[in-house]
Amino acid sequence: MKTLIAGLGRLYRGETTFDFIGRRMIGFAISIIIIVLGAGSLLIQSLELGIDFRGGVAWEVPANGLTEQDARKVLDDNNVESLNAKIQFLTGTELQVMRVQVGDQTQEVRLSVQKSFAELAKVEVEEVSVASVSSSWGRSITEKALRALLIFFVVVSLYISWRLEWKMAAAAIIAMAHDVIISVGVYSLFGFEVTPATVVAFLTILGFSLYDTVVVFDRVQENSKKFATTRQSFANIANVSTNEVLARSLNTTLASALPVVSLLVVGSFILGAKSLEDFAVALLVGMLAGTYSSIFVAVPLLDLFKQNEPKYQPFKGQIAVGVAMSKLMGHGNVSRVLVTNSSKLNASSVTDEELIAQTTQRATTVLTHPPRPRKKRR
Amino acid sequence: MNKRRHIVTLVLLLIIVASSLTANLVAGNKPALGLDLQGGASVTLQPEGQYDAAGLDVAVEIIRQRVDSIGVAEPEIILQGGTIVVNLPGVKDQQQALDIIGRTGELLLRPVLETGMLDPNPSTTIAGSTTDNSVTDTVPVAGGPGSSRFINTATTVPDTTVPSTDVSSSVPVTASATPSVVATPAVTPKIEIGDDPNDPTQTVVLLDKNGIAYVVGPAGASGKVFKNDARADVQTGEWTVVVGLRSGADGDVLWNKLAAACFNKTEQCPTGQLAMVLDGTVISAPSVREPEFTGGTVQISGAFTAEEARDLAKILEFGAVPVRFGVSQAQTVSATLGSDSLRAAIISGIIGILLVLFLLIAYYRLMALFIFAGMTISIALLWSVISFLSRTNGLALSLSGIAGIIVSIGIAVDSYIVFFERIKDEIRVGKTLKNSAVRSFESAWRTIVAADTVSFLCAAVLWFLTVGSVRGFAFFLGISALTDLVITYFFTRSAVLLFARSKRVQGRKILGIKTINPEVLQ
Repeated sequence: MKTLIAGLGRLYRGETTFDFIGRRMIGFAISIIIIVLGAGSLLIQSLELGIDFRGGVAWEVPANGLTEQDARKVLDDNNVESLNAKIQFLTGTELQVMRVQVGDQTQEVRLSVQKSFAELAKVEVEEVSVASVSSSWGRSITEKALRALLIFFVVVSLYISWRLEWKMAAAAIIAMAHDVIISVGVYSLFGFEVTPATVVAFLTILGFSLYDTVVVFDRVQENSKKFATTRQSFANIANVSTNEVLARSLNTTLASALPVVSLLVVGSFILGAKSLEDFAVALLVGMLAGTYSSIFVAVPLLDLFKQNEPKYQPFKGQIAVGVAMSKLMGHGNVSRVLVTNSSKLNASSVTDEELIAQTTQRATTVLTHPPRPRKKRR
Repeated sequence: MNKRRHIVTLVLLLIIVASSLTANLVAGNKPALGLDLQGGASVTLQPEGQYDAAGLDVAVEIIRQRVDSIGVAEPEIILQGGTIVVNLPGVKDQQQALDIIGRTGELLLRPVLETGMLDPNPSTTIAGSTTDNSVTDTVPVAGGPGSSRFINTATTVPDTTVPSTDVSSSVPVTASATPSVVATPAVTPKIEIGDDPNDPTQTVVLLDKNGIAYVVGPAGASGKVFKNDARADVQTGEWTVVVGLRSGADGDVLWNKLAAACFNKTEQCPTGQLAMVLDGTVISAPSVREPEFTGGTVQISGAFTAEEARDLAKILEFGAVPVRFGVSQAQTVSATLGSDSLRAAIISGIIGILLVLFLLIAYYRLMALFIFAGMTISIALLWSVISFLSRTNGLALSLSGIAGIIVSIGIAVDSYIVFFERIKDEIRVGKTLKNSAVRSFESAWRTIVAADTVSFLCAAVLWFLTVGSVRGFAFFLGISALTDLVITYFFTRSAVLLFARSKRVQGRKILGIKTINPEVLQ
């Protein structure tokens, strides 16, 4: 408990010294496991597509004590195949809705079923919502979304290459693809229904994941300029940058996720607005994946891409941890710093003390200069 | 100097936001609600077979007129990526919506057997009777009234019945199909009148916009005899509509056969008038003045106003290119379900924002005030923009739009977090609050611009390339990204920099870190 509070304090003051790069394999492994699970689930049970993608008819009836048998009877009476009908009860405290989904039907059947449901539930006909979708429609929106996605990839890669650099663009796009794959995998794994709302949410995830990654990469780029004169491995720069933006990343994720959690818990579970649930679940999964990937996937990948550049190659494998990293980050008060990972130091032939001395010497030139005294007023 | 500039910026921003908000409130603009929040019917039409973009535009126009004629509040008819989306808030009956929209809209040419006034008793209201010469023309027309003109080679002259924007006439016509036509003095052999006014093979009674009844025979031809080039033009001082004839068996041959029948006032067409019928409404019933149209064009003249002529031209053109539509999506949302969703979205949105604010107070203490103020201003700004666009462009706030806004809360808050975390970094390495604020803004601004640009690009690509709810989402995401940039630059920057230079806070604990008092160092 004490260490947790101490850790939060360090996080608050931006003094964490986690070695993200040295432990990148853990992050990669977790991602790969989730992706493999998701892919396996996709192969076995694929996605639960809503009627917007399959085509079909859905009625939503206020479920005034209706049962599944009632619904099937209505369908049978109207000569609708009730075996494959999907009947769900969406319950909230405010209202309970029965949603009945079947394959494509003619206009007459849609209306007569709507009327029967209204009679059964003792409500006005208008209170029964009907949605019908032709199957070609679902295909065409999926195609449009995919095309939009491809163009988005290209545009964003160009922008990041121009604004930052192409290696960052590559890492960011991979991280983004990672988030989408994970989200789709989670959807398949838990059998959530995919609706147009879900597609919207997936697209948001892309934007969000990139947004997060760009913020981290921006800091990486700034730091690589800052450390340009001190000879440093790229891993160190990446570690320092990630630790510096860690508080921001966690804060932003919390601040963004809270409204979504509220939408999910209050809006969907308590108030029973099921239409909100589709958004909220996908958004939440995507936001968590987005934050995770920007720290544990995007930055380590960038290090993989860049560690062999001539500028960084001689120092490849040198990772300053603990006190040394803290020095690099320019914190004066070393005593508070926790040494997180000393075993990694043995990777290179440099000893602890030497490395600390080295980095200290380098870092002094960077950040620890005292503030320039104010000029006297005349 | 610098200080004054910040103050001026802040004041200007506040004035602009406040005045645009009040202007919108005074004008009564408020965000229009989408179907999924308000209840109503929505139909998505996908064109089938061959069509071109111009045909789609005309189709949108025709559907809009039909919808307007039944008086739906704030209908939304949009051409989206090759499909037409018709949103009819408040329309509860899907059948009605499909009836309005789903008709093929084919223009039929039917010989007029008889004209006259309908017996006004059977509940039919006669609309638009203010139009000038419509009443005088209710007498059966022999050769067309004197006001119409005969123009050289290829001409049909209307009996000056005003060509109208098409009226969705399903209601009046069904009411009038059975009731009696006040018999006109013309020789009336027993005419069997069919039930379905839209059936082209029957003899039926149809009305025009002014309530004049026409007994029309089976359709002799469709609008396909015309080329797709109808235009309204001023010729010899009058508005006329000129349209070309297609050549071939389905074009001028068919037309000339019909024209000859009417010109000679055969049994098939005793009045000599040829009615142009769209959706069971007589648009115009000109008398035929030529037995044969050799010039390849047909000219319709009469007492048109410019608008009437253009409307007729549009209808002729549309009749020539009937775009066939398949209904790819039809949806009705009950009003209860819609308002429940809206309420849930609002309640959970407010709770979400409150949670975020608690988090920020706990984390940034005093500085969280800037976030509150900034969020309030950006909400006011967003509200103004959305209300304004709702009024002018028919933008409607749907559930997916709300999702976009909720996501944008995260983006907006992030800008502050990036900035404040930066200030903390700078203070930590020993800078004064004032210096760190200035320097932090420079670097934070770069980050914020980069990140917002990515969001905006995402929104723009989605907006241009997708349809339906995705677009609503993209729109609100994009607009939020822009608002965030504006607020960060004009509000947050000025306010925080002013705060950071104020004497009182120097040397205090800001953002949980004690700052250096510059006076001490002197």
